[in-house]
Amino acid sequence: MTLLLLKDLRAGYGASDIVHGVNLELVPGEMVALVGPNGAGKSTLLKSIAGVANVTAGTLELDGKNLIPLQPSGRAQAGAVFMPQERNVFRTLSVSENLAVSAWGHRDIAARRDEVATLLPTIRDYMHKRAGGLSGGQRQMVGLGMALMARPRVLLVDEPTAGLSPLLVGEMLDTLRQLAASANLGILIVEQNARAALQRADRALVLVDGRVVREGPAAALADEPDFGALFFGHAA
Amino acid sequence: MIQMIINTLASAAIVAPAAVAFTLVFTLFRYANFAVGGFVTIGAFAAWTFNVPLGLPLWVSGIGAMIFCAFAFAASDRLVFRALRGRSGGTLLLVSIALSFVLENILRFIYGAQLKSFDLPLTGPIVISGIRITRETMAVVSVSLLAILAVGAILVFTPLGRALRAVADNPSLANVRGLPVPRVETFGIAIAGAMLGLSGTLVGVDLAIDPNLNWAVTIPIIAAAIVGGLGSPIGAAAGAILIGAAEELTVAFLSPTYKGAVGFAVIALVLILRPQGLLGDKVDRK
Repeated sequence: MTLLLLKDLRAGYGASDIVHGVNLELVPGEMVALVGPNGAGKSTLLKSIAGVANVTAGTLELDGKNLIPLQPSGRAQAGAVFMPQERNVFRTLSVSENLAVSAWGHRDIAARRDEVATLLPTIRDYMHKRAGGLSGGQRQMVGLGMALMARPRVLLVDEPTAGLSPLLVGEMLDTLRQLAASANLGILIVEQNARAALQRADRALVLVDGRVVREGPAAALADEPDFGALFFGHAA
Repeated sequence: MIQMIINTLASAAIVAPAAVAFTLVFTLFRYANFAVGGFVTIGAFAAWTFNVPLGLPLWVSGIGAMIFCAFAFAASDRLVFRALRGRSGGTLLLVSIALSFVLENILRFIYGAQLKSFDLPLTGPIVISGIRITRETMAVVSVSLLAILAVGAILVFTPLGRALRAVADNPSLANVRGLPVPRVETFGIAIAGAMLGLSGTLVGVDLAIDPNLNWAVTIPIIAAAIVGGLGSPIGAAAGAILIGAAEELTVAFLSPTYKGAVGFAVIALVLILRPQGLLGDKVDRK
């Protein structure tokens, strides 16, 4: 059953396209990694699904529902939830308030907060601290918790390990992997630590200049002899 | 000394709700809205209209003025500021000054330049151990304090208040988190407008109502918000007390002539010594 469907999707900012005709089908419980060189359009692709960048042509559906006419808030309400790379928490609010505000329009906030704290147990340790005072790793965990408060169908995660120590990189990616399975989420992840992401993802797409140049099972892609060239954008 | 504290609180009580409004708008949109004095004056005239020509009790007139100002302030955002979102803070500040002059002259056109006052029963002050305090002063201080506590409670304890703080903190994140950002912003503007209407009613209890109130209250309001720390409603209230105290000290030890300059002097001192104000956070410039 297809959860997220992208067909010949073109997207960008203003008049210029950065993503040129991407096709993708994501199923529940599947984690797909988007890898490629800097400027390949990976983050723009995620942002276009979230409504932050403009879709200029193609099909974008979640559970068969056309997302293109919806604003970012509408897409989040529909289940396509974006976790930005930076500034992904409300710094002046406490962690508890960050979580509460992310379940806007729902009455069962306490139940959802408990659910998130069960999935991400470390959050309990700093639940009542101001988010702006947390470490980078803690902030990323809160950002992930905020995304989960909406009970997403698809999680769009942009470089969740940016600025984290190598130990925390593994932890964060393992957490995402487990979430995909336990919450039956579709996860589309852009990750700078490509090898670490490919070790956890089910499938991967290599993007170069806004086009998919290779796709397949993540583990197989990581084992390809020309992986380095693919990642740095020298092969097509 | 105690008399001076009472006078300070009375003066602060008038300015504080408007300073909270100023800081709410600044936190949401990152610009200094100098039209706040104009809306306080509109609030005073609206309350007078309900109270004198329509004969309603002052407390009903005050509520009417708050509702009227909430709509008027939201309308000013819709008609003037929304189209300018994303422009520099300096541009919006100049536009707000222009709006303030327009509002003042609309009031002058409708109501004329004659001084007006509420229909209040004449009562003598209560004297306790030589300290004189009027019933009006007690009412003004109590209502102002309650209103500020109510706004604080809304911001901290209600979902809409939390959403307002989230939108003020990071509107683009609020958008991708599913918050209805324009609706939340309108709610914040309406609260700010209601507080301006309240300040207008309170100022009318203490002073004569005329269109010139506008600039007489604008500087103390902005000074209170800056001293308290932009972005902090509690700081704005504390700033109002500090400005009130500085004004009282000026009147007592220098001359009432210099009272109007106190706001400017305090703003200059705060910007030099503690730019983020008493309780404010450092904020990004736009």
